[in-house]
Amino acid sequence: MAIHERSLVEPERVLRKERLVIDGIDVSGDWNLVILPRVIEDYDLDFLDEVLKQPEGKTILQCYQCSYCTASCPVHNYWDERYNPRHFIYLARLGLIDELQKRADVIWRCVSCHKCTHRCPKGVLVEETLKAILKVMSKKGLIEEYPSKKFDTFFLEAVFEHGRIEDGELLFGWIEKQGYEVFKDPVLKKPIPFLGGTPEWLKQLAIKPIKSMNIDFLILNAKHMLFHPKTKNWNRFKQVLRKVMDEEGVSFVH
Amino acid sequence: MAKSVLVIGGGPAGLGAAKALGSLGIPTVLVEKEDKLGGRPVIEDYHTLIPRKMKPDQVIGPFVSEVQNNPNVDVKLGTEVEAVEGEAPNFKVKLSNGETVEAAAIVVATGFQHFDPKRKGELGYGIYPDVITNLELEQMFSREGKLYRPSNGELPKRVAFVFCVGSRDRQLGVTNVHCCRYGCALSGLQGSEIRQHYPEVNVFCYYMDVRTYGTWEYPFYWEPQEKHGVRYVRGRIAEITYNPADGRLRIKHEDTIVQRPSEVPMDLVVLVLGMEPSEGTKKIAKMLGLAQDPDSLFLLPAEDAASNITSNKAGVFIAGACKGPIDIESSIAEGEAAGAEAAAFIGAKVTA
Repeated sequence: MAIHERSLVEPERVLRKERLVIDGIDVSGDWNLVILPRVIEDYDLDFLDEVLKQPEGKTILQCYQCSYCTASCPVHNYWDERYNPRHFIYLARLGLIDELQKRADVIWRCVSCHKCTHRCPKGVLVEETLKAILKVMSKKGLIEEYPSKKFDTFFLEAVFEHGRIEDGELLFGWIEKQGYEVFKDPVLKKPIPFLGGTPEWLKQLAIKPIKSMNIDFLILNAKHMLFHPKTKNWNRFKQVLRKVMDEEGVSFVH
Repeated sequence: MAKSVLVIGGGPAGLGAAKALGSLGIPTVLVEKEDKLGGRPVIEDYHTLIPRKMKPDQVIGPFVSEVQNNPNVDVKLGTEVEAVEGEAPNFKVKLSNGETVEAAAIVVATGFQHFDPKRKGELGYGIYPDVITNLELEQMFSREGKLYRPSNGELPKRVAFVFCVGSRDRQLGVTNVHCCRYGCALSGLQGSEIRQHYPEVNVFCYYMDVRTYGTWEYPFYWEPQEKHGVRYVRGRIAEITYNPADGRLRIKHEDTIVQRPSEVPMDLVVLVLGMEPSEGTKKIAKMLGLAQDPDSLFLLPAEDAASNITSNKAGVFIAGACKGPIDIESSIAEGEAAGAEAAAFIGAKVTA
């Protein structure tokens, strides 16, 4: 049997059997198709309580669904309309878990531009709230650990080590972590750009800004790549930080 | 005999008018068909009044005692107006107790009545005991002091407020297309009260839009959500059913934000009732020849008047909910204004 308005029916709701016998009657053929209803049968009200327990999730109740955040969001506007911070907040508050899971592939795509948070007329810390939603989802095993979290950890580790990041190290380190081969000089073990398995798209992406770069800035960057810049007195600060983190039982890697 | 003013109706607006007239020293006759002053809030035991979260006794009590103790005001309880003859400033008003009152001006404050939710059969009021009105919820608070499910006396786990029952609804004919104006705010307050006293009860408000206008936005929309965790779900409830398997109600609607149909279990459903003109309002309108809205039958102010308390008939002033949905503090203010206008109309000289 044909399905009309296919766009309204998610594939997972379609049950189709080649041969189907119900109560001893063979209904194969025209009646072999069932579309499961999309009725919301209940809310998972504990989900919101979990979000409210997160320090980042405290402002979620302030949202009144005006969608100022989504209208401002570059991810929603230029990447995928399924990324919709306003909608995620609504779903989390009612605990419509299946709807959140449907968007598991986009929900972690925030680029942290914070336009949403700066503009929200109700003072919702939108970006943080979404992080809290993600946290609860992964805590409850509703999504796999989100990829952006891996980058966050990598970034924080770099900061922790030197008190600041170094662009080249961060970029090439991340590329390496993604499984690409990065060519390094044999003495200092520093990455040499554009050699090895650097993918073509990345070369194009990097060459463009380098071409228009001020020569002094280019030299500075090269210098930083060779001699990692460090924040003054960072080692002492790092020791204090580590002690506090140990006491509080906090770590970058969850 | 000094020129007197007749005030019809002893609710918030009528009391406001009678108090103003009495304190200006003008002989006033206040006619109330019930045997008690105070109108709907007092007679029907409202619990907490919007917008200032005061009790009916606190708000209306002082007006009642002032009117009753003022020698200028003649209060006639259990009395209705039967006929009006003449024109301003010489009205001859026949009352149901056989008296005739001569009045130079009339203040009409005949009020409203609550919508009868049995007219919306799909919402199951009168069929399922756990579907109640917001008026009954008020009375649950004020008379019994506790929240419970009428079907079994237990505390509900979930309470749903169904907005706009008998408001903004062409299905009822042309009479109920207006907004009730108080419902969103009162539901916000009732929801907050429930959450304050029973934090374990989840409260849901099913709305099309939330009309807590002006300064009501914060206390009756933001606060219930932010401070008390009342949940707002967009979608008008289309049907309420009962599931014998778990003894709970199901409210059927489309969640218009998620764009999915919903049938969610609820323990107690509160219908937020609309307002209609009272029988008294319709009767007085005919008697006095006052302009009415052709659809809702609420009284209309004169077309050329800037103030909405001026009626189309000289010497007749209209105040409060007989003109359409209104909150109590505005009703009182309109009553006071109508009283002052009536005093000016009869040319009363006020001396210090």
